[in-house]
Amino acid sequence: MPEQMRSRGRIEVSPAAIASIANQAVLTCYGVVGTADRDLAAGIAGLLSPDSKRGIEVHVQDGQITIDVYVIIEYGTRIAMVAHSVMNVVKFSVERALGIPVAEVNVHIEGLRVSDID
Amino acid sequence: MTDERPAAATQERPHLTTDGQDFKQLTKAALAWLQHHQGTINALNVYPVPDGDTGTNMVLTMQAAWDEIRDSPEQSVGQVAHQMAHGAMYGARGNSGVILSQVWRGFARGLDEKQAYGAQDLALAFQEAQATAYKAVVEPVEGTILTVARAVADAATKAAQRSNDLLHVLEQIVFAAHETVMLTPSLLPVLAEAGVVDAGGQGLFVILEGMLRHMRGEPIAEDVELAEPMDLVATGLAPGETGYGYDVQFVVIGQDLDVDVIRQRITEMGKCPLVVGDPSMAKVHVHVPDPGVPISYGASLGSLHDVIVEDMQAQYRDFIAGHRAPLPASPGGQQGESTPEIGVVAVVMGDGLAQVFRSLGVSAIVDGGQTMNPSTQDLLKAIESLQAEKVILLPNNSNVILAAEQARKLSKKPIAVIPTRFVPQGITALMSLSPQADFETNVDAMTSALDEVETGEVTLATRSATINGMKVANGEIIGLHNGELRTNGKSVEKVVTALLTEMHAAEGEIITLYYGEAVSEQDANELADLIQRKWPEQDIEIVAGGQPHYHYVLSVE
Repeated sequence: MPEQMRSRGRIEVSPAAIASIANQAVLTCYGVVGTADRDLAAGIAGLLSPDSKRGIEVHVQDGQITIDVYVIIEYGTRIAMVAHSVMNVVKFSVERALGIPVAEVNVHIEGLRVSDID
Repeated sequence: MTDERPAAATQERPHLTTDGQDFKQLTKAALAWLQHHQGTINALNVYPVPDGDTGTNMVLTMQAAWDEIRDSPEQSVGQVAHQMAHGAMYGARGNSGVILSQVWRGFARGLDEKQAYGAQDLALAFQEAQATAYKAVVEPVEGTILTVARAVADAATKAAQRSNDLLHVLEQIVFAAHETVMLTPSLLPVLAEAGVVDAGGQGLFVILEGMLRHMRGEPIAEDVELAEPMDLVATGLAPGETGYGYDVQFVVIGQDLDVDVIRQRITEMGKCPLVVGDPSMAKVHVHVPDPGVPISYGASLGSLHDVIVEDMQAQYRDFIAGHRAPLPASPGGQQGESTPEIGVVAVVMGDGLAQVFRSLGVSAIVDGGQTMNPSTQDLLKAIESLQAEKVILLPNNSNVILAAEQARKLSKKPIAVIPTRFVPQGITALMSLSPQADFETNVDAMTSALDEVETGEVTLATRSATINGMKVANGEIIGLHNGELRTNGKSVEKVVTALLTEMHAAEGEIITLYYGEAVSEQDANELADLIQRKWPEQDIEIVAGGQPHYHYVLSVE
């Protein structure tokens, strides 16, 4: 659990809290239409449900935060660009909220939503 | 949009339809106009999440869109729009580029397979564009391109109900886009705090404005800033079959001049026609292969004044000549020959600074341009032009570090990027370069030298803003310490002394003053005297940096 030392005591942040922040950030990312479970079959239900944190995994090891994000991306967007934007936005949002550096954000594209074929 | 502006009085007849080839020209005009504003849009880029530079990203996206259709003979506007959207999708850069690509994707879908679009079709296409753009995100952020796209769709729908003239519809669209861009700070607090409008929204507005200018016959391409990357600008300036020809401007003074008739005749003669005036006077601007034609015509109408004829072919040649980046190493460069296995590439703006870097052993300079925004391609060209087997890259600006890292990954040569964020860091790093030492040792030494120098920059605030709780007014002098805004004021002297105090000048040994292109040598010397009086213990050095924008770059080491 990452912690920050303060003169009056200790502040601990749980991975679940970090996941909430990350989830909120992911959903504002352009091109992301939902988060998904690691297993796509179970993840369909997670589509378009903004409260779900199932698509975010937070690992803390030796004080290093690693965040894995499982997303569904809109078909027809440039996926590499969207993924980069997810990395940036998640890292920025978590670091701004916690003041603790995020070591890694890994973006896993679990599926594409095809809304229309052009 | 309550107040309807009158349709331009300049048109001869209503524009009722736009076909595939017309739409190609609109796209080209949009790209050229966007390139023209690239720097200003980049300057709006305050969103804390790094998105590279919004202006550049949108230009590259539109460039990809244009590349896809430039050679297309297709007549159907639906087909051309599909091709263009396809190009934008695959060439999308950055977040703003991805959103833009979705706008075009929807636009193309809205046009379907149409041969040509009229006002109603255009309105439908923009409705589909905004719907598609909104569909690709769960929680849309308002105050961005999305908001502008929606305002555009609404304006198009309203305008198309009243008029079937495409020029009128596009005018309403552009007004709406502009108004919405102006509203973005009230929708997105981060913009309000920085005192800017949304960069992506502004980009979309500029794209639409470029199209409008093309429809009105207003000039677009010939005044594209020369600082832009050459391969991009060249598109905006692409010669017609007769080359670039001549830029002709004159004023006719006469009696009972019929501006509409003059405009029609001038429009038939060449490109980028612009005719304004009243029955007593008309101003004419046009690009023609033979300048004699419009001038003779003008002389037949009345007396000619302020005649200007410029050879655009020559301008283009000068421009190309001035843009042959990278500049090769000066022959007999002091240290260049003694370290053939290591080459150094530095990104610098300003002739004086380029000279300084060359004298310190840099083998190739990449001109940073007005906005210090060279492409990865520029850097790669410089790297590949060197004989050296291994190359050290000095970006000298935080915005360039990413492009440098990209170049490192793409180049076949071993490359090290020393993350220099400021010019003085680049110079300090070069001081640690040793021709005898091997690559790794040099890289380590140069990297660890970066902390030895404090950098100050003095420039003008280009807009009013509140940053870190400091209120800065447009046009004020501001001082940045290691890139952070620290001090502001009315006089350069005050800001420089406050900044040097902030930089702990008293604890350093050498204070260096690099003065910019806007500063005279005498002013720089006077300022140096003032600094010497205040810090008598330190050595003061004055260097003619010639950098744009920054009056002074200061270093304390």
